[in-house]
Amino acid sequence: MTSIGTGYDLSNSVFSPDGRNFQVEYAVKAVENGGTAIGIRCKDGVVLALEKLITSKLLKHGANKRIATVDRNMGVVSSGLLPDGRHFVSRARDEAAEWRRFYKAPIPTSALANRMGSYVQVYTLYSSVRPFGVTSIVGGWDPESELPVDGQVGSGPSVGAGGKTEGAQHGGPFLYMIEPSGLYWGYYGAATGKGRQSAKSELEKLDLAAGNLTLEEGVKEAARIIYVAHEDSKDKDFELEMTWVSSLDGPTKGRHEEVPKELREEAERLAKKALEGDDDETDDKMEE
Amino acid sequence: MFRNNYDNDSVTFSPQGRIFQVEYAQEAVKQGSVVVGVVSKTHAVLAAIKRNAEELSSYQKKIIPIDSHYGIALAGLASDARVLSNFMKQQSLASRLTYDRAIPLSEITTRIADRAQTNTQQYGRRPYGVGLLIAGVDAKGPHLFEFQPSGVTQEMVACGIGARSQMARTYLERNLDEFDDASREELIKHALRALKESLSQDKELTIDNTSIGVGGVNENFKLYEGQEIAGWLETTFESRESAPEGGEGMEVDS
Amino acid sequence: MNHLPQAWGRPRDDVYGAYDSSHLQTSGPNQHTQSPVVTGTSVVAVKFKDGVVIAADNLASYGSLARFTDVKRLRRFNSQVVVGFGGDVSDMQYLDRLLNSLDIRENYSSASDSPLHAKNLHTYLSKVMYKRRSDFNPLWNHLLVAGLDGEQKPFLASADLLGTTFASSTLATGFGAHLAQPILRRTVPDEDSVQKVTKEQAVELVKECMKVLFYRDARSMDKYSIAVVTKEGVDLKEDEKLEKQSWAFAEGIRGYGTQIN
Repeated sequence: MTSIGTGYDLSNSVFSPDGRNFQVEYAVKAVENGGTAIGIRCKDGVVLALEKLITSKLLKHGANKRIATVDRNMGVVSSGLLPDGRHFVSRARDEAAEWRRFYKAPIPTSALANRMGSYVQVYTLYSSVRPFGVTSIVGGWDPESELPVDGQVGSGPSVGAGGKTEGAQHGGPFLYMIEPSGLYWGYYGAATGKGRQSAKSELEKLDLAAGNLTLEEGVKEAARIIYVAHEDSKDKDFELEMTWVSSLDGPTKGRHEEVPKELREEAERLAKKALEGDDDETDDKMEE
Repeated sequence: MFRNNYDNDSVTFSPQGRIFQVEYAQEAVKQGSVVVGVVSKTHAVLAAIKRNAEELSSYQKKIIPIDSHYGIALAGLASDARVLSNFMKQQSLASRLTYDRAIPLSEITTRIADRAQTNTQQYGRRPYGVGLLIAGVDAKGPHLFEFQPSGVTQEMVACGIGARSQMARTYLERNLDEFDDASREELIKHALRALKESLSQDKELTIDNTSIGVGGVNENFKLYEGQEIAGWLETTFESRESAPEGGEGMEVDS
Repeated sequence: MNHLPQAWGRPRDDVYGAYDSSHLQTSGPNQHTQSPVVTGTSVVAVKFKDGVVIAADNLASYGSLARFTDVKRLRRFNSQVVVGFGGDVSDMQYLDRLLNSLDIRENYSSASDSPLHAKNLHTYLSKVMYKRRSDFNPLWNHLLVAGLDGEQKPFLASADLLGTTFASSTLATGFGAHLAQPILRRTVPDEDSVQKVTKEQAVELVKECMKVLFYRDARSMDKYSIAVVTKEGVDLKEDEKLEKQSWAFAEGIRGYGTQIN
């Protein structure tokens, strides 16, 4: 970054002569130092996982949850400045609640990603604010069945004249990632934070686009990937936090919840084993 | 200290992604006298050193009871803490009025943290210059939260903030395993010992410069000062010789 | 038409004269709801030693017309609270939405091991009702909150459109307050007798009340919902039908309807 110190990087919303908004780029730097966060879109649900670095022995174990629930069927995990992450979540919850008030239905994941993208973008437009110091991953399950409206009186026609198309597919698992610039994409597998490079290359190996990975496999892969990503900052302890959301028929019944302790511990055990296996391989190679 | 171009306000990131104004606000916390907090399965204890401006003046308030189930201890700008504590009192009463429920500690902590965060993202505001320890009991049992000017909050088993608090934290880390099952009296003693560690050589804990706040399961949060704490000070430090001495050679936070 | 966008699509002043905006003005003071429109009738509930039984029929009436016959007037809040609604159905739907958003907010923190209990919810709802009546814009309902309190003990209390609250071991709203309460009180006259009542007895008692209400309340129906709240959770059945009805007594009624003698 050669233009540092030329004065174009001192205020938000200012372009440099070569068309860059430096304050946004610096916000991205804040994200790159945060613990690794990933999301995997499986065929029957979404998994979110976070590498939570332990900064002090005095912290209470298992408390300080950082993957947040928005509405009932969506989760947000972010990497970067913690308080900014909470600001993001609090706005997302307001958006979801407002959507419900207006449409009497839960907000689709895509709509939430869109609204949050717009919200984050606004914080790049003015010199009176600073951009968000977080990149957030939003994962959710949009209900595939028609949900009852509150206090529903009668149910109306199931297809046809009720305005519903017969046999139309809707709902399913969705995953988006929103960056400090307000840019967002939909993903099969998303990673951000310090270990994103190695996490991304692990995600790419999974061939998620094929849509074969099940939710339970996804949980195990997510744990493994976080452990792999942690290799870069091995000197620090960390806690693995994982949440998931499935369909109404799945294990979470359409809700975004913490992955049950037993399953998480099993996934961690496998992750550690896989890592040791890798180490053995490299040892073997070195011997050769 | 160096001046750089990126530390004028809290809406400017440095090229490394840091916000200097917020980091400077954290320094204000270290200017305040030390406070510590500890929790067991049944109790939450706060202990604080009070300063006085001069010999004949009164001592500064360090522990503020907020609701009957919890209180806070502060290090840094006392007036910022007053603003936050007023807000906390208001929110706590609102919870009791609308739901007939003692506000959960995690809830009230995030509410002030969200306020603090706003001050770090908008021009024309400054971050709060105070750190808080929030301790008490709610439906889920005893809790201790740490609040920082950046808006970071963490639930802790034990914590110390303020001047020379690293010494207190070292003591707490060393005795970490004992807190969970400690009795009310033992927990208070631990808090006082941690506090003592942070004191400079020539200073002593006295009934004038020490405050203790205690909350517990089926026990309202109460602030103890003056003669009420004489007994604790006596029993805690009577066997001072045998107590573990970790002061020497420890690093002092700058 | 001129260049001013606000005039586009409106009648031209030079042809039709200036628009008489007095049509837009309403005269007199603001008025809010003066009476309910689509209504549900009684809700009955009784405490027993391990919990609470609550019931309401599935009818929403439009005046004297039995307009909707599959209306769920018992609403489960969480695993230990059910709210029963009498009165205006659209206001009930508003309250249901309110409770839904409250539930969503309560579940943000992943470990919901201290959920809002029945007493919390009743306090909240009574504040909502009282606020609205103080704004001269009441929610036209009479609600019963049934469930467990903070000590896991049976809890039953009501709140009405005036913000009045009342708690008792037996409660009924609407017509039920006149017709069902005396029956409920025969078995459960006071708080002490709650301990002697089993779940089965309580359910039978409530079903008996629903039958009497169907016999005597012209705005009631024989399809109803019934919920039992205990430590084990909420057992809510929404498609029950009154059993063993006997209308033989109707033959003996005189002085009403088309009769020969």
